[in-house]
Amino acid sequence: MKLRILLADDHELIRRGLSALLQKHEGWEICGEASDGRQAIEMAKQLKPDVVIVDIGMPHLNGLDTTRQLLQHDPHFKVIVLTITDSDQVIREALDAGARGFVLKSDAARDLVAAVEALQNKRMFFTPRVNDLVLAGFLEKGHAISRSEAPDLPTLTAREREVTQLLAEGKSSKEVAVLLNLSTKTVETHRSNIMRKLSLHSIRDLVVYAIKNNIIQIQMPPQTPRPTETTVA
Amino acid sequence: MAVRILLVDDHPIVRQGLRTLLEGRSGWQVVGEASDGIEALDKVETLQPDVVVLDVTMPRMNGLEACRLIQRKQKTSGPEVLFVTQHDSPQMMREALEAGARGYVVKSNAARDLLEAVEAVSQHREFTALARSPLASC
Repeated sequence: MKLRILLADDHELIRRGLSALLQKHEGWEICGEASDGRQAIEMAKQLKPDVVIVDIGMPHLNGLDTTRQLLQHDPHFKVIVLTITDSDQVIREALDAGARGFVLKSDAARDLVAAVEALQNKRMFFTPRVNDLVLAGFLEKGHAISRSEAPDLPTLTAREREVTQLLAEGKSSKEVAVLLNLSTKTVETHRSNIMRKLSLHSIRDLVVYAIKNNIIQIQMPPQTPRPTETTVA
Repeated sequence: MAVRILLVDDHPIVRQGLRTLLEGRSGWQVVGEASDGIEALDKVETLQPDVVVLDVTMPRMNGLEACRLIQRKQKTSGPEVLFVTQHDSPQMMREALEAGARGYVVKSNAARDLLEAVEAVSQHREFTALARSPLASC
Protein backbone atom coordinates (compact mmCIF):
# COMPACT_ATOMS: atom_id res chain seq x y z
CA MET A 1 0.00 0.00 0.00
CA LYS A 2 1.25 3.45 -0.88
CA LEU A 3 2.41 5.94 1.73
CA ARG A 4 -0.02 8.86 1.56
CA ILE A 5 1.35 12.37 2.07
CA LEU A 6 -0.55 15.62 2.64
CA LEU A 7 1.27 18.86 1.69
CA ALA A 8 0.43 22.20 3.31
CA ASP A 9 2.13 25.35 2.03
CA ASP A 10 0.58 28.63 0.97
CA HIS A 11 2.77 28.87 -2.14
CA GLU A 12 1.64 26.70 -5.02
CA LEU A 13 5.12 27.01 -6.49
CA ILE A 14 6.58 25.31 -3.42
CA ARG A 15 3.85 22.67 -3.36
CA ARG A 16 4.62 21.89 -7.01
CA GLY A 17 8.29 21.48 -6.19
CA LEU A 18 7.64 19.32 -3.13
CA SER A 19 5.11 17.23 -4.97
CA ALA A 20 7.46 16.60 -7.90
CA LEU A 21 10.25 15.67 -5.49
CA LEU A 22 8.18 13.25 -3.40
CA GLN A 23 6.29 11.60 -6.23
CA LYS A 24 9.56 10.45 -7.76
CA HIS A 25 9.76 8.08 -4.81
CA GLU A 26 8.16 4.76 -5.62
CA GLY A 27 5.43 3.82 -3.21
CA TRP A 28 4.57 7.38 -2.15
CA GLU A 29 1.65 9.49 -3.29
CA ILE A 30 0.46 13.01 -2.59
CA CYS A 31 -3.09 12.49 -1.36
CA GLY A 32 -3.86 16.20 -0.96
CA GLU A 33 -2.55 19.76 -0.99
CA ALA A 34 -3.64 22.53 1.36
CA SER A 35 -2.85 26.23 1.09
CA ASP A 36 -3.31 27.14 4.76
CA GLY A 37 -3.35 25.49 8.15
CA ARG A 38 -7.11 25.41 8.54
CA GLN A 39 -7.54 23.65 5.21
CA ALA A 40 -4.73 21.25 6.15
CA ILE A 41 -6.56 20.20 9.30
CA GLU A 42 -9.82 19.62 7.45
CA MET A 43 -8.07 17.62 4.74
CA ALA A 44 -6.08 15.58 7.24
CA LYS A 45 -9.23 14.64 9.14
CA GLN A 46 -10.85 13.59 5.90
CA LEU A 47 -7.94 11.94 4.09
CA LYS A 48 -6.09 10.44 7.07
CA PRO A 49 -2.63 10.73 5.49
CA ASP A 50 0.35 8.78 6.77
CA VAL A 51 2.52 11.92 6.80
CA VAL A 52 1.61 15.61 6.89
CA ILE A 53 4.18 18.16 5.72
CA VAL A 54 3.39 21.68 6.97
CA ASP A 55 5.04 24.99 6.26
CA ILE A 56 5.46 27.12 9.38
CA GLY A 57 4.51 30.45 7.84
CA MET A 58 0.99 29.94 6.53
CA PRO A 59 -1.89 32.43 6.61
CA HIS A 60 -5.00 31.99 8.79
CA LEU A 61 -3.37 29.26 10.88
CA ASN A 62 0.40 28.89 11.07
CA GLY A 63 2.20 25.57 10.80
CA LEU A 64 2.97 25.25 14.51
CA ASP A 65 -0.65 25.70 15.56
CA THR A 66 -1.69 23.42 12.71
CA THR A 67 0.64 20.75 14.12
CA ARG A 68 -0.74 21.26 17.65
CA GLN A 69 -4.34 20.99 16.50
CA LEU A 70 -3.66 17.96 14.29
CA LEU A 71 -2.05 16.06 17.15
CA GLN A 72 -4.72 17.14 19.55
CA HIS A 73 -7.28 15.64 17.18
CA ASP A 74 -5.28 12.46 16.61
CA PRO A 75 -1.89 11.85 18.26
CA HIS A 76 -1.05 9.33 15.54
CA PHE A 77 -0.57 12.01 12.89
CA LYS A 78 3.07 12.22 11.80
CA VAL A 79 4.00 15.80 11.04
CA ILE A 80 7.10 17.20 9.37
CA VAL A 81 7.56 20.95 9.81
CA LEU A 82 9.10 22.90 6.94
CA THR A 83 10.74 26.15 7.96
CA ILE A 84 12.93 28.90 6.61
CA THR A 85 14.77 29.25 9.90
CA ASP A 86 16.19 26.87 12.48
CA SER A 87 16.40 29.38 15.30
CA ASP A 88 16.35 27.91 18.82
CA GLN A 89 12.90 29.32 19.43
CA VAL A 90 11.35 27.83 16.31
CA ILE A 91 12.99 24.46 16.97
CA ARG A 92 11.71 24.44 20.54
CA GLU A 93 8.19 25.32 19.47
CA ALA A 94 8.17 22.70 16.71
CA LEU A 95 9.29 20.02 19.17
CA ASP A 96 6.79 21.20 21.75
CA ALA A 97 4.03 21.13 19.14
CA GLY A 98 4.83 17.46 18.51
CA ALA A 99 6.52 17.55 15.10
CA ARG A 100 8.44 14.38 14.33
CA GLY A 101 10.46 15.91 11.55
CA PHE A 102 12.02 19.32 11.04
CA VAL A 103 13.39 20.31 7.62
CA LEU A 104 14.73 23.62 6.38
CA LYS A 105 13.11 24.74 3.15
CA SER A 106 16.51 25.55 1.70
CA ASP A 107 17.54 21.91 2.27
CA ALA A 108 14.21 20.32 1.39
CA ALA A 109 15.44 18.89 -1.90
CA ARG A 110 18.16 17.06 0.04
CA ASP A 111 16.47 16.25 3.34
CA LEU A 112 12.76 15.83 2.78
CA VAL A 113 12.88 12.36 1.24
CA ALA A 114 15.09 11.20 4.13
CA ALA A 115 12.67 12.78 6.60
CA VAL A 116 9.63 11.03 5.15
CA GLU A 117 11.56 7.74 5.06
CA ALA A 118 12.46 8.19 8.72
CA LEU A 119 8.83 8.74 9.72
CA GLN A 120 7.79 5.81 7.54
CA ASN A 121 10.17 3.68 9.62
CA LYS A 122 8.77 5.06 12.89
CA ARG A 123 11.79 7.25 13.50
CA MET A 124 12.16 11.00 13.76
CA PHE A 125 14.13 13.32 11.48
CA PHE A 126 15.79 16.55 12.48
CA THR A 127 18.45 18.74 10.96
CA PRO A 128 21.93 18.44 12.47
CA ARG A 129 21.35 21.71 14.31
CA VAL A 130 18.22 20.36 16.00
CA ASN A 131 20.04 17.19 16.92
CA ASP A 132 22.84 19.27 18.48
CA LEU A 133 20.36 21.30 20.50
CA VAL A 134 18.47 18.24 21.71
CA LEU A 135 21.73 16.55 22.66
CA ALA A 136 22.95 19.68 24.44
CA GLY A 137 19.68 19.81 26.34
CA PHE A 138 19.98 16.15 27.27
CA LEU A 139 23.50 16.73 28.58
CA GLU A 140 22.15 19.57 30.67
CA LYS A 141 19.93 16.97 32.32
CA GLY A 142 16.43 17.11 31.21
CA HIS A 143 16.01 20.53 29.69
CA ALA A 144 15.54 19.62 26.07
CA ILE A 145 16.34 23.14 24.97
CA SER A 146 17.12 26.20 26.97
CA ARG A 147 14.00 28.20 27.60
CA SER A 148 15.80 31.23 28.89
CA GLU A 149 14.78 33.25 25.84
CA ALA A 150 11.57 31.41 25.20
CA PRO A 151 8.47 33.48 24.66
CA ASP A 152 5.73 33.58 27.26
CA LEU A 153 2.99 31.64 25.49
CA PRO A 154 1.23 29.30 27.88
CA THR A 155 -1.63 31.52 28.90
CA LEU A 156 -3.32 31.52 25.50
CA THR A 157 -5.73 28.79 24.52
CA ALA A 158 -5.61 27.27 21.02
CA ARG A 159 -8.63 29.36 20.03
CA GLU A 160 -7.05 32.51 21.39
CA ARG A 161 -3.90 31.82 19.39
CA GLU A 162 -6.02 31.44 16.26
CA VAL A 163 -7.76 34.74 16.96
CA THR A 164 -4.40 36.37 17.69
CA GLN A 165 -3.00 35.28 14.33
CA LEU A 166 -6.03 36.48 12.39
CA LEU A 167 -6.15 39.86 14.16
CA ALA A 168 -2.40 40.28 13.67
CA GLU A 169 -2.87 39.54 9.96
CA GLY A 170 -5.07 42.63 9.87
CA LYS A 171 -8.51 41.06 9.93
CA SER A 172 -11.40 42.78 11.71
CA SER A 173 -13.36 41.05 14.48
CA LYS A 174 -16.18 40.54 12.00
CA GLU A 175 -13.86 38.89 9.47
CA VAL A 176 -12.38 36.67 12.20
CA ALA A 177 -15.90 35.70 13.25
CA VAL A 178 -16.77 34.61 9.70
CA LEU A 179 -13.53 32.63 9.31
CA LEU A 180 -13.90 30.82 12.63
CA ASN A 181 -17.65 30.44 12.41
CA LEU A 182 -18.18 32.38 15.63
CA SER A 183 -20.27 35.40 16.51
CA THR A 184 -18.60 38.80 16.40
CA LYS A 185 -19.37 39.16 20.09
CA THR A 186 -17.48 35.94 20.90
CA VAL A 187 -14.50 37.16 18.91
CA GLU A 188 -14.59 40.47 20.76
CA THR A 189 -14.57 38.54 24.05
CA HIS A 190 -11.57 36.48 22.90
CA ARG A 191 -9.87 39.69 21.84
CA SER A 192 -10.40 41.31 25.24
CA ASN A 193 -9.15 38.20 27.03
CA ILE A 194 -6.05 38.04 24.84
CA MET A 195 -5.22 41.69 25.45
CA ARG A 196 -5.76 41.31 29.18
CA LYS A 197 -3.78 38.06 29.54
CA LEU A 198 -0.84 39.44 27.58
CA SER A 199 -1.06 42.96 29.04
CA LEU A 200 -1.32 44.45 25.56
CA HIS A 201 -2.97 47.77 24.85
CA SER A 202 -3.33 48.02 21.09
CA ILE A 203 -3.46 45.99 17.90
CA ARG A 204 0.02 47.25 17.20
CA ASP A 205 1.20 45.57 20.43
CA LEU A 206 -0.63 42.42 19.37
CA VAL A 207 1.13 42.39 15.98
CA VAL A 208 4.51 42.77 17.67
CA TYR A 209 3.65 39.93 20.07
CA ALA A 210 2.55 37.69 17.16
CA ILE A 211 5.77 38.32 15.25
CA LYS A 212 7.99 37.78 18.29
CA ASN A 213 6.26 34.51 19.08
CA ASN A 214 6.24 33.09 15.55
CA ILE A 215 2.47 33.26 15.30
CA ILE A 216 2.90 35.25 12.10
CA GLN A 217 5.97 35.72 9.97
CA ILE A 218 6.77 38.87 8.13
CA GLN A 219 8.75 39.45 5.00
CA MET A 220 11.73 41.67 5.77
CA PRO A 221 11.93 44.83 3.69
CA PRO A 222 14.24 44.17 0.76
CA GLN A 223 17.77 45.37 1.26
CA THR A 224 18.48 47.11 -1.96
CA PRO A 225 22.08 46.83 -3.00
CA ARG A 226 23.85 49.73 -4.64
CA PRO A 227 24.62 49.19 -8.33
CA THR A 228 28.22 48.22 -7.59
CA GLU A 229 27.54 46.05 -4.57
CA THR A 230 27.56 42.29 -4.46
CA THR A 231 25.37 40.85 -1.74
CA VAL A 232 26.87 37.97 0.15
CA ALA A 233 24.43 36.02 2.27
CA MET B 1 12.22 27.28 -32.41
CA ALA B 2 11.98 26.48 -28.71
CA VAL B 3 12.17 29.22 -26.10
CA ARG B 4 15.25 28.36 -24.04
CA ILE B 5 14.85 29.11 -20.33
CA LEU B 6 17.43 29.29 -17.54
CA LEU B 7 16.14 28.98 -13.95
CA VAL B 8 18.03 30.81 -11.20
CA ASP B 9 17.08 30.42 -7.53
CA ASP B 10 19.08 29.36 -4.49
CA HIS B 11 16.35 26.95 -3.33
CA PRO B 12 16.32 23.70 -5.32
CA ILE B 13 12.71 23.08 -4.35
CA VAL B 14 11.69 26.41 -5.93
CA ARG B 15 13.62 25.54 -9.10
CA GLN B 16 11.81 22.21 -9.15
CA GLY B 17 8.46 24.00 -8.80
CA LEU B 18 9.32 26.42 -11.61
CA ARG B 19 10.44 23.56 -13.82
CA THR B 20 7.20 21.69 -13.19
CA LEU B 21 5.18 24.75 -14.18
CA LEU B 22 7.20 25.47 -17.32
CA GLU B 23 7.85 22.03 -18.71
CA GLY B 24 4.22 21.34 -19.48
CA ARG B 25 4.31 24.01 -22.15
CA SER B 26 5.21 22.82 -25.64
CA GLY B 27 7.81 24.93 -27.38
CA TRP B 28 9.60 25.84 -24.15
CA GLN B 29 12.73 24.17 -22.90
CA VAL B 30 14.40 24.55 -19.50
CA VAL B 31 18.03 24.42 -20.59
CA GLY B 32 19.67 24.78 -17.19
CA GLU B 33 19.57 25.86 -13.56
CA ALA B 34 21.77 28.06 -11.39
CA SER B 35 21.72 28.66 -7.66
CA ASP B 36 23.15 32.19 -7.48
CA GLY B 37 24.01 35.22 -9.60
CA ILE B 38 27.57 34.21 -10.36
CA GLU B 39 26.56 30.77 -11.57
CA ALA B 40 23.78 32.43 -13.58
CA LEU B 41 26.28 34.65 -15.42
CA ASP B 42 28.35 31.58 -16.37
CA LYS B 43 25.31 29.70 -17.60
CA VAL B 44 24.03 32.65 -19.61
CA GLU B 45 27.39 32.62 -21.43
CA THR B 46 27.45 28.90 -22.07
CA LEU B 47 23.77 28.06 -22.57
CA GLN B 48 22.61 31.23 -24.37
CA PRO B 49 19.03 31.13 -23.02
CA ASP B 50 16.25 33.32 -24.40
CA VAL B 51 14.73 33.94 -20.96
CA VAL B 52 16.37 33.98 -17.53
CA VAL B 53 13.94 33.40 -14.65
CA LEU B 54 15.75 35.07 -11.78
CA ASP B 55 15.29 35.29 -8.01
CA VAL B 56 16.29 38.51 -6.21
CA THR B 57 17.70 37.31 -2.89
CA MET B 58 20.50 34.81 -3.40
CA PRO B 59 23.92 34.16 -1.88
CA ARG B 60 27.18 35.32 -3.47
CA MET B 61 25.51 37.60 -6.01
CA ASN B 62 21.90 38.74 -5.85
CA GLY B 63 19.54 38.82 -8.80
CA LEU B 64 19.58 42.60 -9.33
CA GLU B 65 23.34 42.63 -9.70
CA ALA B 66 23.26 39.58 -11.95
CA CYS B 67 20.59 41.22 -14.10
CA ARG B 68 22.67 44.38 -14.52
CA LEU B 69 25.72 42.34 -15.51
CA ILE B 70 23.75 40.22 -17.95
CA GLN B 71 22.43 43.36 -19.62
CA ARG B 72 25.87 44.95 -19.67
CA LYS B 73 27.56 41.91 -21.21
CA GLN B 74 24.87 40.97 -23.69
CA LYS B 75 23.87 44.39 -24.96
CA THR B 76 22.19 43.50 -28.24
CA SER B 77 21.17 39.85 -28.33
CA GLY B 78 21.06 38.97 -24.66
CA PRO B 79 18.31 37.08 -22.88
CA GLU B 80 15.25 38.71 -21.40
CA VAL B 81 15.18 38.63 -17.60
CA LEU B 82 12.04 37.76 -15.66
CA PHE B 83 12.21 38.15 -11.88
CA VAL B 84 10.27 35.66 -9.78
CA THR B 85 10.68 36.84 -6.21
CA GLN B 86 9.10 36.90 -2.78
CA HIS B 87 9.38 40.71 -2.70
CA ASP B 88 5.85 41.98 -3.24
CA SER B 89 7.06 45.55 -3.37
CA PRO B 90 6.61 48.32 -5.96
CA GLN B 91 10.03 49.67 -5.00
CA MET B 92 11.73 46.37 -5.68
CA MET B 93 9.82 45.98 -8.93
CA ARG B 94 10.99 49.41 -10.04
CA GLU B 95 14.59 48.50 -9.25
CA ALA B 96 14.28 45.25 -11.16
CA LEU B 97 13.01 47.05 -14.24
CA GLU B 98 15.75 49.66 -13.88
CA ALA B 99 18.27 46.85 -13.73
CA GLY B 100 17.05 45.77 -17.15
CA ALA B 101 14.45 43.14 -16.39
CA ARG B 102 11.51 42.74 -18.75
CA GLY B 103 9.22 41.06 -16.25
CA TYR B 104 8.43 40.81 -12.53
CA VAL B 105 6.29 38.18 -10.84
CA VAL B 106 5.75 37.50 -7.14
CA LYS B 107 6.42 33.95 -5.96
CA SER B 108 3.13 33.63 -4.14
CA ASN B 109 1.39 34.13 -7.49
CA ALA B 110 3.89 32.36 -9.71
CA ALA B 111 1.52 29.51 -10.45
CA ARG B 112 -0.98 32.07 -11.79
CA ASP B 113 1.37 34.49 -13.53
CA LEU B 114 4.48 32.61 -14.62
CA LEU B 115 3.35 31.17 -17.95
CA GLU B 116 1.85 34.44 -19.12
CA ALA B 117 4.96 36.30 -17.99
CA VAL B 118 7.38 33.99 -19.81
CA GLU B 119 5.20 34.18 -22.90
CA ALA B 120 5.31 38.00 -22.78
CA VAL B 121 9.00 38.50 -22.06
CA SER B 122 10.03 35.88 -24.63
CA GLN B 123 8.30 38.15 -27.15
CA HIS B 124 10.10 41.18 -25.67
CA ARG B 125 6.96 42.52 -24.02
CA GLU B 126 6.92 43.77 -20.45
CA PHE B 127 4.99 41.84 -17.81
CA THR B 128 4.72 42.98 -14.20
CA ALA B 129 2.39 41.74 -11.49
CA LEU B 130 2.52 42.26 -7.77
CA ALA B 131 0.51 39.94 -5.55
CA ARG B 132 -1.42 42.87 -4.12
CA SER B 133 -2.66 43.89 -7.57
CA PRO B 134 -5.65 41.88 -8.72
CA LEU B 135 -4.68 41.98 -12.36
CA ALA B 136 -1.35 41.72 -14.09
CA SER B 137 -0.28 44.49 -16.36
CA CYS B 138 1.15 43.32 -19.63
